[in-house]
Amino acid sequence: MLPSIQQWMHESLVFPRRVDGDKRDALLRESPRLAAAQGLAIYQRGYFLRIANCMREQFPALCHALGEPLFDDFVADYISDRPPESHTLYDLGRRFPAWLGDNRPDRDLPPGRREPWIDFMVDLARFERQVFVLFDAPGHEGRPFADPATPDESLRLQPCFDLGAYDFPVAAYYHSVRRNQPLPLPPAERSFAALVRTDYVTRTIALTETQYRFLQAMAEGGGAGDAIAAVARHLGMTAGQVRESWHSSGDRQRWIDWGFFITG
Amino acid sequence: MIADLPRLGLGLGLRSIHFDTILAERPAVDWFEAISENFMDSGGRPRAVIREVAERYPVVLHGVSLSIGSCDPLDFDYLARLKRLADEIRPTWISDHLCWTGVMGLNSHDLLPMPLTEESLAHVGGRVRQVQDFLERPLILENPSSYVRFASSTMEEPEFLRRLAGETGCGLLLDVNNVYVSCFNAGTDPAAYIRAFPCESVVQMHLAGHQNEGTHIIDTHDRPVRPEVWELFRLAWALTGGASTLLEWDGDIPAFADCHAELLKAKDYMGGRFDPRPEGAADPAGSDGLSNPVGFLVPRVMDSAVMEEA
Repeated sequence: MLPSIQQWMHESLVFPRRVDGDKRDALLRESPRLAAAQGLAIYQRGYFLRIANCMREQFPALCHALGEPLFDDFVADYISDRPPESHTLYDLGRRFPAWLGDNRPDRDLPPGRREPWIDFMVDLARFERQVFVLFDAPGHEGRPFADPATPDESLRLQPCFDLGAYDFPVAAYYHSVRRNQPLPLPPAERSFAALVRTDYVTRTIALTETQYRFLQAMAEGGGAGDAIAAVARHLGMTAGQVRESWHSSGDRQRWIDWGFFITG
Repeated sequence: MIADLPRLGLGLGLRSIHFDTILAERPAVDWFEAISENFMDSGGRPRAVIREVAERYPVVLHGVSLSIGSCDPLDFDYLARLKRLADEIRPTWISDHLCWTGVMGLNSHDLLPMPLTEESLAHVGGRVRQVQDFLERPLILENPSSYVRFASSTMEEPEFLRRLAGETGCGLLLDVNNVYVSCFNAGTDPAAYIRAFPCESVVQMHLAGHQNEGTHIIDTHDRPVRPEVWELFRLAWALTGGASTLLEWDGDIPAFADCHAELLKAKDYMGGRFDPRPEGAADPAGSDGLSNPVGFLVPRVMDSAVMEEA
């Protein structure tokens, strides 16, 4: 009896329109104040509202861009398709960016005819998920970071670091919402960003493609030497030229100051 | 053994918007209750904060995803994370709810009600014993707020919890506001519930605010405790012999000082004759009451995000 009751009740939350009224009235006891349907409705409404509230916190810029009613509509379809599984609310949005891409309204159109604003929304959702994950990921606070005297060969990326390549300037848009000065929805423009957390502050740093390639080589497990070699190949320069540029441009110093590196 | 657990006094829920105040001002609060799921997977600031708070104050862990009543198998990965957190911060006790949160591998993130039957009692009792063996400590279980009752139930909640505590040695967390909410919605007497409750097994109590819709009440945890609940607390305080008491405030959370001031009102009800109050006026229509809010468990990540000029 208990397994079937629980399965019925959970399905009543995920698929509220499929509830069989007769079965509901047989399983639940009325009270002088609440009919069975009213009592169940409180759980059904709460299920959606609770998760929607959490998703708005996990994707605030996307919610702003879409407007709350449309964002909530997407969330309702998302949790119907992908009901939450984890013990932690932090996992709610894990599948959301991919789900948005897979379920975009114009998915049946060829890529060249799809709506750019939907591409932007998917890109933005991906960026926001990265920022959210980094907030509470294992980090390096309280431990020593690399400093300017650290040799290049000893530099390693710290554990609370991420990179992103996007088709839209999503980082700039996200932070414009954060500043309460939201930008208009931007046109497509390839963009790159580093995300790093130090002192429990998550920093976004806009990157050039070259800087992105450099850091990507390190993120794949290489050292600074591997990164320099990768960029040299890409630009048709010598490793010495790239190393000199990395030092003299100030990138190395800035990245050390922002806590990109630990010693390894 | 629950009889060995201390009386902690008056405590507050540990909320992220109060972290800075607590660490900087070291307020004169007796203890804190931390939501286990907020900290067990944390690699960032929350974990660092709870370590620091636990060095200065007694802390208890209160979970919302143990799902002790579910027909899904116990999640031993979850329990292992909980145990690791407990080994680190040494909570005075660990609690959760008499409820289930999901089946079929899903989590509703709500505290869903149990039919109160012999089948449920045997099922939950077996799982409580497994959890207590794994955690190597007694589990403390809370009465949830409810909006439905099952036709198959063969006993009332106080009897169910009395038998559960007797058979497993678990402790109980008596949520006075939940008693009020559930009894109002069921059309039953909350004072009779408290008098029937196994108060000898109560380790802790909860207090919170609720939203009165007129026809029913929603357990919103987002406003001061209502006078009728305070009066019920007076009865519960007397019958539990002064169990550790905590104020939960989970929605529209005010400044720390305001939460603390609300908690300290409990001292006005630690004695005197129980004088039950009728339910007060309904709250204004149109407010969007949400039972068991969890939004406070999701950090406002954007607030700690900055864009550096490259």
